[in-house]
Amino acid sequence: MSEGIGEFRESQPLTLGVELELQLLSRRDFDLTRGATDLMQALDYDERFGEIKLEITESMIEVSTQPQATVAGIAADLAGLRETLVALCRRNNIALCGGGTHAFHRWPERRICPGERFDAIYQRYGYLAKQFTVFGQHVHVGVTSADDAIWLTQALGEYVPAFIALSAASPFVDGVDTLFQSARLNAVSAFPLSGQCPPLADWADFLDHFRLLQDCGIAKSIKDLYWDVRPKPEYGTVEIRVCDTPLSIERATALAALAQSLCRYLLRERPAFDAEGLRHVARYNKFQACRYGREAQLSEPAARRQRPLREWLDALLVTLAGDAEALGCGNWLRTLAERGAPSDADWLRATWERERNMNDVVRTASERWMGEGDAS
Amino acid sequence: METLNAYARALWESTQERLFFLPPFPDQIDTLALFGLLLVVGLLAGEWLRARFGFPKMVGYVLAGTLFGPSLLGWISVEALTQARPIADAALGLLLMEAGRRLDLRWLLGNPALLRATAADVLLSFVAIYFFAWLLVGLSPGWAAATAAVTMASAPAVVLLTVEESSAQGQVTERVILHTAIATAVSFVLFALVLGFVHAELSADWINAVAHPLWVAVGAALIAWGTARLTLLVAARLPKRSLAQVFVLVAMALLAVGVARMLAVPVFLTLFVMGALLAFDDRRQTLAYTQLPEAHWLLAIILFVIVGASLPWREFTWLTALQALGLLLVRAAAKTGAAYFGNRNLPPAKRLWVGLGIQPLSATAVFMAYEIAALYPEVGRSALLLPLFAAAIMEIAGPVLCRLALVRAGETAGDGEKKGGIA
Repeated sequence: MSEGIGEFRESQPLTLGVELELQLLSRRDFDLTRGATDLMQALDYDERFGEIKLEITESMIEVSTQPQATVAGIAADLAGLRETLVALCRRNNIALCGGGTHAFHRWPERRICPGERFDAIYQRYGYLAKQFTVFGQHVHVGVTSADDAIWLTQALGEYVPAFIALSAASPFVDGVDTLFQSARLNAVSAFPLSGQCPPLADWADFLDHFRLLQDCGIAKSIKDLYWDVRPKPEYGTVEIRVCDTPLSIERATALAALAQSLCRYLLRERPAFDAEGLRHVARYNKFQACRYGREAQLSEPAARRQRPLREWLDALLVTLAGDAEALGCGNWLRTLAERGAPSDADWLRATWERERNMNDVVRTASERWMGEGDAS
Repeated sequence: METLNAYARALWESTQERLFFLPPFPDQIDTLALFGLLLVVGLLAGEWLRARFGFPKMVGYVLAGTLFGPSLLGWISVEALTQARPIADAALGLLLMEAGRRLDLRWLLGNPALLRATAADVLLSFVAIYFFAWLLVGLSPGWAAATAAVTMASAPAVVLLTVEESSAQGQVTERVILHTAIATAVSFVLFALVLGFVHAELSADWINAVAHPLWVAVGAALIAWGTARLTLLVAARLPKRSLAQVFVLVAMALLAVGVARMLAVPVFLTLFVMGALLAFDDRRQTLAYTQLPEAHWLLAIILFVIVGASLPWREFTWLTALQALGLLLVRAAAKTGAAYFGNRNLPPAKRLWVGLGIQPLSATAVFMAYEIAALYPEVGRSALLLPLFAAAIMEIAGPVLCRLALVRAGETAGDGEKKGGIA
């Protein structure tokens, strides 16, 4: 076993876990504020719905559900976590918000959370650590073996644009419209070990690769790998890490349903995938999904053509319908297929068009997350 | 100084016989020149103390005023102080308006522990100071109540500027600001009532005892309501957070200051109420995100230099100093106790830092004391030496304590992250 990577802990197949990074805002102007350690000190909670923990800067807080067999379990945990955190934030005059980026905060004003790990990240990456004040959703899917984890990590690579397009909720950075649907991933891509996992045959191959990274001084633990999809040996899961935190827990739950249905389909069908071909187009397809969302054009190296992401996504959701029904999450998956419902990025832009003020955009998004005002 | 002045005058007047275009010898320094001088002197003292000892800059401004004021070197004369008063009123008015905008009743009502803490702060502070001044110092009940009303609240100007200077953010910071805003609001109400008591006690004049508090309270409320409505009306036609909105906010605040001065209604009360109304009435967040411009630090420097120069050091006696220290200790115990036992949902250390952070006592208290003292100058001045000396001590210690609390709570920014203050 490689040092820095624990034993792969097998888990129940297709169990789910969801992590959400959330924004902590001042109720005065809805800019990001320093509040995470204060909230953690005031937290009196028995972890029945999962964990609430610190993230890299003081303006972020992370919630993670309990491992759940069903999407309904995830929905219940997320609702419980939201309720707990909203009550805590109200007592401390802090607002909570979803979304992949804060629309107008200034990254130099961010403060690194106390703690050895956060300090080490700041010392290692400098200002990138503060610019990493972006907010993502991670979905864990349980697998029964380490080799399956590696296979699934590879197979999911092709579907990264779907998760990006469906979760996109970060059109604004530094107070301007980036023209991206998801600008968050641009902050992640500055890190040296971000991006696609390299082609790997099995768990042994992964351990070899990781030892190489260790020997060359590139990575110490699995936490240093900021891959789009990565195995998580201590949980016995594969972790999908490309989603923006949506503006509502309903969208976050629907993305978990997509992950569970897709993994069931992949593990059941074991479709062949062209790892080598994908390597050439993965970054481009990811860019397309970040930039255009559902309007992206995806490159298909095998067919040597482009295909609209919307068309590919519609076909995918039809393909997954049976698996979703079998898992009892068909209703959640259908919310992603609904035509005419704006993406979170589109909703944020429409709010900007209406309000013409970034503070109000964030305020409205926060009211939506916290279940206050008209936005909810 | 007087010899030098006489020599300059003689020289000027002899020259005037030959150069007919020369104006008469200027007896008073021009207001703008005075403004410039106070600014430079205060700024340099503040920067030096900050760089040398890490003190908040306000301490330097106050010390500069004290040094150059009538009590010590006399370079700032009593006349110059009167001349500069409108600038101080404008500065204090803007800061009090900001304090009023921070009166967050929604948070207060949603957090019972905080409500208990602020209520205890107000009640304990007033009662403790009142009984100290009445029973231990021997002031009459009316003047004891005046002393308690004037000194019970923390100093909004000091707290806001210290928070801004150190870019503090967090629960201690927010609670220090809220405690200060609530105590300020209550102290202003008590101040109006105390005016009546003082009239009743000193002149047995029941008409003035009733009419004066009403004039102050209703006058301040009407001016504040009118200017706040007008401000929102005009600002709603401008883009949010625009420079134009900032100008409207400042201009309307100055209008309120001017009208309050014309009608002999306390400026600090009027502007505080105006700020509170701006926050409560602003349902469309018209001005919610518009902040005071950095230039308000210019006025703040002048304010603290003038406050420093206004402190009655010439009337210093050891007895009054000891009494003032006693008052501050009683007040500190009341405030710290209220913050510690009230803010139950904060860790114990942070409750203590809140208690320490709300200790400042400053410009508002000095101005309130002079306002009351002016009613009956023959007795008021000596009766209010106690709060004035307490304020004088806290002018120096208050900003240091407040900053210490925010630093110890871990809520201030590193040097690279600061955005508040100047330099």
